Amino acid sequence: MRKNIKKHNFMSSTEARDAWLMMAPALIVLLVIAVYPIIRTFWLSMHEMMLTDPSSGYPYIGFKNYFNILKDKKAIEAILFTLKFTATTVSFELIIGYAAALIMNKAFRGKGLVRAAILIPWAIPTSVSALMWKFIYNDQYGLFNDVLYRLGVIHSYKAWLSTSGGSFMALVITDVWKTAPYMALLILAGLQMISEDLYEAAKIDGAGVIKRFIYITLPIAKNTVIVALLFRTLDAFRVFDLISVMTGGANRTESIAVYSYKNLMKFLDFGYGSALAVLIFIVVFIISLIYMRFLGNKLTDMEG
Amino acid sequence: MKENLKRVLGLGLTLIMVLSLAACGGKAQTENVGNTTEGTTTEDSGKEGTVTESAEPTEKITINFSFDQGVGEPTQEIVDQFNASQDKIEVKTVLLPQDANVVHDDFVNKLATGDTSIDIMGLDVVYIAEFASAGWLADLGQYFDNTVTDTMIKGTVDAATYDGKLVAMPWFTNSSVLFYRKDVLEKLGAEVPTTYDGWMKLADNAVGINGIEYGADFQASQSEALVCNWVEYVWNHGGDIFDSNGKPVINSTQNVAATTTMKKLVDEYAPEGVTTYAETESEQVFKEGKCLFIRDWSGFWSSGQGEDSKVTGMIGATTLPIGEGGTEPHSCLGGLDLVVNTNISDTQKEAAAEFIRYMVSAETQKNMTLISSQPPVVKDVYKDAEILEKIPFYADFYSVIEGGKSRPQSPKYAKVSDAIQRHIHQALTGEVEIQKALDDLQAEVEEFSK
Repeated sequence: MRKNIKKHNFMSSTEARDAWLMMAPALIVLLVIAVYPIIRTFWLSMHEMMLTDPSSGYPYIGFKNYFNILKDKKAIEAILFTLKFTATTVSFELIIGYAAALIMNKAFRGKGLVRAAILIPWAIPTSVSALMWKFIYNDQYGLFNDVLYRLGVIHSYKAWLSTSGGSFMALVITDVWKTAPYMALLILAGLQMISEDLYEAAKIDGAGVIKRFIYITLPIAKNTVIVALLFRTLDAFRVFDLISVMTGGANRTESIAVYSYKNLMKFLDFGYGSALAVLIFIVVFIISLIYMRFLGNKLTDMEG
Repeated sequence: MKENLKRVLGLGLTLIMVLSLAACGGKAQTENVGNTTEGTTTEDSGKEGTVTESAEPTEKITINFSFDQGVGEPTQEIVDQFNASQDKIEVKTVLLPQDANVVHDDFVNKLATGDTSIDIMGLDVVYIAEFASAGWLADLGQYFDNTVTDTMIKGTVDAATYDGKLVAMPWFTNSSVLFYRKDVLEKLGAEVPTTYDGWMKLADNAVGINGIEYGADFQASQSEALVCNWVEYVWNHGGDIFDSNGKPVINSTQNVAATTTMKKLVDEYAPEGVTTYAETESEQVFKEGKCLFIRDWSGFWSSGQGEDSKVTGMIGATTLPIGEGGTEPHSCLGGLDLVVNTNISDTQKEAAAEFIRYMVSAETQKNMTLISSQPPVVKDVYKDAEILEKIPFYADFYSVIEGGKSRPQSPKYAKVSDAIQRHIHQALTGEVEIQKALDDLQAEVEEFSK
């Protein structure tokens, strides 16, 4: 017995060591490309570091950069805008994505083709689709104007990107157009996990379409939906290229990522820019934690 | 035995993995050397260059010259000519993407870390003050005296001077021009306007003639182009951004008048979307034949009369108008300067200066103009018969660029520009009153100019 245990321990310890050895390259790469930049950014954020002012010696200033964010009207505006943008786009994407997934989940001819085609908007690089949509909103040649004009919604062509309301709407439409398909595919994966038997059983018990949706589809697909929401919320919160290309932050559409980039690369204020970057990291982290909490509870619910 | 074998195998595997990783790294590096157009990874190619220096039997000094590929081909041609012309210096080119931001970020990364892989850079004129104040640029005053700079357009030399020192050498320039529809003015029997009021009156009469819908067209999206446009209104109304001591004087009465004029053009004369227009969008409308005037960069003279244009052969060019309080018209200058990395050795610097001397000689400037159509900085080139034959536009253009002014110099130009963009854009879209926008702008610039 004893001998066995000892041998077992020995075995597992060498195995563990081998495992660590095997994982070492991957871990080192992760440390270098993921952990180090995060720590470095945090370290930078505690310093006064204007690249154009090397004579300052880049002194350590503790959390001053973070206090400055609270005093910075532009930063607060950017954060509020980003939250508004995230909430709006993610809700639209959820509704549209869910609906599209339900449709695609039905058996019909050309299902494969539709599923592939719906991914096209998502497959186009954001900066390209942003340029495309910018032209669609153009006040002289834009398709958007043309369609609304023919429908009689507007009586003259409008410059949609010249007002803050118009810019916000344009950005939301573009983002939803681009990412709702992604949401739809993720949700579709969840829907396909639901066994047909459940629906049939419910049907026999006399449950209608709506009841079947509420009592079968919603609860079972919930976890997939939450994961999809998590991805999209994080993405939307870090929105950068769409805004950078379409409005350049004009008309009060500057997202926190754009503002942070501006401070880092344009103003070369690495201290303050890093503090903003860390702030984005923290917010994104909190959002993930909240979703994880949801996910965790649901998982235990299901087990219970 | 078995254990040992396992261990050896494990170690071996790990080793292979690490090696293959290293190999990947190595491969990536050699790829970078070939692919010098990739902005952020060109460092290696530079070092490669300096290494070969000692290996070459002739012991040439290698100079690495980095600039954006917008002018890549003609510049390469000129550089090849230079390399063939003498046997002491070898200039290697390191191309960057044609994107002012990428080029800026690449240079900043290198200079801020004291990198010496690049000796000479083609730097956009607006960044001169920022780079000079950071102490990244070598003082060229010791290599060049007035005889060189006196041959150049004054505005370009002013823009290359920081704190009284010549920190850059103008390479080629650019300025905005007021383009107009010759055919419409002829029909109206009107002269080219010299004041903004004259512009608006003419525009009132021109709508409807030959398809004209808009009296004015320019760039007013929240971008650097807006800064260029706005400072022209300011200068041409007798205002300025900084006074001679570098104090911001933004909310002056002249500047309020200037912004009011600009807003009037936005509201009543320009296409509705002008506050979303950068160069491309504004040019599109003019090329469609819908606008009487467009303020644009000099290159539009040829690009505006291409195959996709409906106004080919109908374009005239003139100076920008002036407003109340303005004395003479000024256009905003753009272009690239040649700057030398301050961290390189003195021998490298001397070689760099030698190359720059070649680049700004009247002869090279003429060659460069002929093959690149970039406006030269040497004044005599504009009067050269061969040049005028090939680019007749330069006859009109010279009077425009003579009055060219550089954008306000500030070590914090990026912040100044950003503040101008935001506040002036808000004023033009009517979100904020002009006076308040300028007061806010003044306060903001004062705050970070302290």
